[in-house]
Amino acid sequence: MNTDPILRIREYQRDRVNFVLENVDLAFANSLRRVMMADLPTVAIDLVEIEANTTVLPDEFIAHRLGMIPLVSTNCDVAMRYTRDCNCLENCAFCSIILSLHVTCNDSVTMDVTSHHLELQPHPDQGIEEAGEEQVKRVESFGSPIGKNEAGVDPILICKIRKGQELKLRCIAKKGIAKEHAKWSPCSAVAFEYDPHNKLRHTSYWFETDEKAEWPLGENAREEEPTREDEPFDFNAKPNKFYFDVETDGSLGAQEVVMKGIAELQKKLASLVWALRKVRSGENDMDMPSGGDQPSGDQATAASNGGWGSGSDSAGWGNPTSGGGGGSTGAWGGGASPSRSGGWGSNPGAGNPGIWSSSSPAAGGWGSPSAQANGWNV
Amino acid sequence: MNAPNRYELYVLDEGEAPVEVNEDTKIPNAATIKILKQDHTLGNMLRGQLLSMPQVLFAGYKVPHPLHPHFLLKIQTDGTSPPDVVLSEACNQLIGTLSSLESQFKREFSFKEVDGGAGAGGAAGGAFATSDDPYGTGTSTSGAGAWGNNRDDYLDF
Repeated sequence: MNTDPILRIREYQRDRVNFVLENVDLAFANSLRRVMMADLPTVAIDLVEIEANTTVLPDEFIAHRLGMIPLVSTNCDVAMRYTRDCNCLENCAFCSIILSLHVTCNDSVTMDVTSHHLELQPHPDQGIEEAGEEQVKRVESFGSPIGKNEAGVDPILICKIRKGQELKLRCIAKKGIAKEHAKWSPCSAVAFEYDPHNKLRHTSYWFETDEKAEWPLGENAREEEPTREDEPFDFNAKPNKFYFDVETDGSLGAQEVVMKGIAELQKKLASLVWALRKVRSGENDMDMPSGGDQPSGDQATAASNGGWGSGSDSAGWGNPTSGGGGGSTGAWGGGASPSRSGGWGSNPGAGNPGIWSSSSPAAGGWGSPSAQANGWNV
Repeated sequence: MNAPNRYELYVLDEGEAPVEVNEDTKIPNAATIKILKQDHTLGNMLRGQLLSMPQVLFAGYKVPHPLHPHFLLKIQTDGTSPPDVVLSEACNQLIGTLSSLESQFKREFSFKEVDGGAGAGGAAGGAFATSDDPYGTGTSTSGAGAWGNNRDDYLDF
């Protein structure tokens, strides 16, 4: 994988981008997908103070619906603080956005309460302290429901009310990521496909009578040569071409999602490099002062974990003869690394099924490659 | 509520070391590296990169328990360099690949914007504007109005 990746954007709109990624590992492409879905910060309503609710929906129901409304989160990673990192007690202008909603129905027709009724309020603390560097980076509509002041954008329905009913509430929106709650995911869907002809046999199709007729080929199949009738199965083949379709909910643009996703992956790797260096230097100098100058806000100490630690958490270790090679069929063994010690079989390319798209991070859990009998994903 | 904070799944505790290296006592040039507050996103990618390196004899990772926010990465090298150094090198290679990908994305996105496709502001109407009304406004449909009027009969304000 030392050759550079090849990229082709097939379609680009404000809220979606369709691209083909070539010359990378399956694991690499999948990590990009995962990071775009789950690791990018956005703003979403987190706390709701309900003053009056005479609608047919209970408070919790409305609070949940409010949380799902995408709010404009451009540059959220730098324009806002996490409440847990903020030095305020509960919430302040640095780490929260206040929205209010007050709707009463006086007509005799059913009325829609929508996201357009949410009004961005200045935080009561605003002005007490000077606007920090975070606020300066915000766009004008930061934190307001998407499409609020744009023509032709349909609002998001919160509730329907009839004559005499009222809904009055105050929302506190906070910054978060989708690992905490899926409402913070900037993506509504990330389609991910490889090997449209199933040449690698990473999946098997269920069919009634005829596999070909019951599983029509998708768009992406045109990009690759179909399987010939007499073609033998190449068990050394690895997936190399990946089809993505990133669709955002509007809180971030598609371009921002992709670029921030790449940056976030780099940040994860860089923190690991930094931590490993710290561990190495800790071996040589046990008295090194701890903490202090870490780049990405992660805490670390110089306490040495190297050397011959007690290995306390080696719960799942099978020994090489009993469990080590299990799960790895001989055919898959070859692959990337030329010389491999006997006991540990390795299954470099296997794992994810051939075609799958995930619509929401919350839906299917965090997809993982297939585990071996002994619990190792190799 | 006595549930732990959800962010503890991905934010390091105060003073917590992000990585622990345990050298293997029985296998030469091998180590098990515990990486805290990270998951398959990093684990699988590193495993894949390590396997493509010629000095690596074995690389595998596992998440021992789905509720415990860490993974174990086991690396055995051929002895030319220790496992943790090889891991740093793998990280640096991945950062390089990502940088190359990033610059390609930058170039491609700027081409698409020049093409007059969907620029950041260019598609203001395009991406979101749709003329059909998925929810119905209630006021425009005469049926709903008539129905609403009749319902007044039993309302007791």
